Amino acid sequence: MDARGIQLLLSDGLSAAGAADRLSALVPVVTQRAHSVDRTFWDTFDGRLHKAGLALAAVGGRLVLMDAASHAEQAGAELPRGTRRLLLDDLPAGALRERLAPLVEMRALTPIARVRSRLLAINVLDELGKTVVRLRAEEPAALPGGDATLALRPRLHVVGVRGYDADFDRVLALLTVDVGLRQAPRPVLDDAVDALGAAVGGTSSKLRIALTPQERADSAAVTILRRLLGVIEANLPGTLADVDSEFLHDLRVAVRRSRALQRELRGVFAPEPLRVFRDGFRELQVLTGPTRDLDVQLLEFGELAAGLGEGTAADVAPLRLLLEQRLVAERQKMVRGLRSERTAALLDNWRDFLDGLVEAPQDDRPDAARPVAVAAERIGKVYRRMVKMGRAIEDDSPHEALHDLRKKGKELRYLLEFFASLYPDEVIKPMVSTLKGLQDVLGRFQDREVQADLLRALGDDIAAMEGGAAALMAMGVLVERLTEQQEQARAEFAASFERFAAKPQRRIVADVFG
Amino acid sequence: MTRVVALYNIKGGVGKTSAAVNLAWTAAEQGARVLLWDLDPQGAASYLLRIKPKVRGGGAKLVRGTSDPSALLKGSDHERLDLLPADFSYRNMDLALDATKRPMRALQRVIAPLAGEYDYVFLDCPPAISLASESVFAAADVLLVPLIPTPLSVRTFEQLTRFVAAEVAMPRPRILAFFSMADGRKALHRSIMGELAASNDGAVLEAAIPAATDVERMALECRPLADFAPRGRASRAYGALWDELQPRL
Repeated sequence: MDARGIQLLLSDGLSAAGAADRLSALVPVVTQRAHSVDRTFWDTFDGRLHKAGLALAAVGGRLVLMDAASHAEQAGAELPRGTRRLLLDDLPAGALRERLAPLVEMRALTPIARVRSRLLAINVLDELGKTVVRLRAEEPAALPGGDATLALRPRLHVVGVRGYDADFDRVLALLTVDVGLRQAPRPVLDDAVDALGAAVGGTSSKLRIALTPQERADSAAVTILRRLLGVIEANLPGTLADVDSEFLHDLRVAVRRSRALQRELRGVFAPEPLRVFRDGFRELQVLTGPTRDLDVQLLEFGELAAGLGEGTAADVAPLRLLLEQRLVAERQKMVRGLRSERTAALLDNWRDFLDGLVEAPQDDRPDAARPVAVAAERIGKVYRRMVKMGRAIEDDSPHEALHDLRKKGKELRYLLEFFASLYPDEVIKPMVSTLKGLQDVLGRFQDREVQADLLRALGDDIAAMEGGAAALMAMGVLVERLTEQQEQARAEFAASFERFAAKPQRRIVADVFG
Repeated sequence: MTRVVALYNIKGGVGKTSAAVNLAWTAAEQGARVLLWDLDPQGAASYLLRIKPKVRGGGAKLVRGTSDPSALLKGSDHERLDLLPADFSYRNMDLALDATKRPMRALQRVIAPLAGEYDYVFLDCPPAISLASESVFAAADVLLVPLIPTPLSVRTFEQLTRFVAAEVAMPRPRILAFFSMADGRKALHRSIMGELAASNDGAVLEAAIPAATDVERMALECRPLADFAPRGRASRAYGALWDELQPRL
């Protein structure tokens, strides 16, 4: 179904009908009756479809996935009724869900823009009267709500028909050279999102910070922490509304990163206000932890239960129910806490504090004016510490040794994220890659333990439920499986650590970070 | 998951091509992504979609796996319907298949890399039982058999059913039939349709395609019925046939 496509701007007073007239003088065309269409575009909060060059539109009760540039349809399905939030499981089984699954994962799709377009279809024909290029003249307007409309730049979509590439090239040349149309810099959807005042391409939770080596450490800290505060605030509404589990995840990552920076660069802050904020951020972390743990448990539940085989998989239904009930209760607590004056004051005060930090007296901030590159050298220290810790781990070392190494790994990961822009990619990328490999193994090792512990802790409650006995037996199998997976992760530790601590890697760290 | 439907009958002139084109178009109209492979060297399905019956490298390269099938596809006038056109060399398809390894799987191998792009693949097959049709049996999930309601047609259908059960390796395609060119004014047609409807085990679909001028006009219009006579009897009948068939795929 893949088809080439390009959007050209209709400008200088050239209407859709005018374009059709100009073109009919050059090539045989058939023009259809103009009509209006309302489309609601959907994407994830972080714009995953946008990143993949796709657009998902609801049109007349159908959801259509299309190439954002050509508007060539790639898959479609019936639009589930009466919802403003779509998770993968809400979509009917079929091509659309299969196509979206690897892109969207656990994220929800929500409406991001409504666009009303007047469309005129003009088909370019060959000598058999067959359509060889499709043109769609579009006069779009974004609909912000109510009766208002925001006119967007009109355009002509030139869409190739598979197997007729030469005709596409010929028609495109006619339109750009003879008619003088130029390529639209971005798709209609991006124009609409922009006109509606939203972020084109969604809201990313990535750090993406550019620091300079001579920059003062306190100024660099403010840059990073402001960005993290932005991420927390951007993800707060979605967390409260429970749009999908990633809002809370991204919020927690930003809180954890903020805490890591508060710790790593503590010398740029005055001790007392820092203590207050560190306490506040720790509270946020604690407040959101149980909900996240249950989210993870439920996200992985399907996969875990599926491994049990058909008969036994059904037995764990009471467990799922119990996890869902716990999640509801924990979420209520978390939402109360996040909506509280205390949280609002923490975030407001933190912003004010960051705004005034660089100008604040430096008497009790010994590292404030040091170049940030000096602080970044800690990357070398943490790396060497990890190498030492990892080498000391034997087959019979206690679990805590691996957990501690993972914690250190998180610290290194944060440092690399904060200070990546100070170093060349060829230094940072291999380090991040081998560290990620190691952390994946250590993470799996710890997660399986936590999951098994959680299941064990639910045993009494499950036993008291209807169907509890069968569920308990199935849970026994689950715990066994989790333990096997934990052992598997442990078996993979040596190889992943070896890659992380390999000689060339150690040499780069010594050369760059001292 | 892509479903492969082969329009097949040992007899010619029973409405295979009309059904292949109209069902493929109807499925596309309803939002599915559809590929139609015109396997008949006469190229009637390609003609009805105004696409030249020509495949670069011919059928032999295609079944040998030395042509990239995705480079041979042609978009139709419907944006969700593509065609793998006919080629006159398909008349020698049996020879070409005979020269390949595991000829029974040859058509399946051609379709496999395209499958992810489409919800349905329709095969418009030439009449006869041959090596090519056996390769069709291996590739198809469903053999959809147009059946003119005459005693000889019914006998041929029974032959086919027996042949597939006895000779075709597992997994076998399901065989479904529908009445084609049915003329309600003929007592014989009515009687055979009634008998089969009462006796069959769901293998014969209820929707029947009438003998209608509109179907013959397709060759003049070079368009599917839904495009030039959407409210006609025949067009509605293909719609009903698809509605009945689709949930069974």
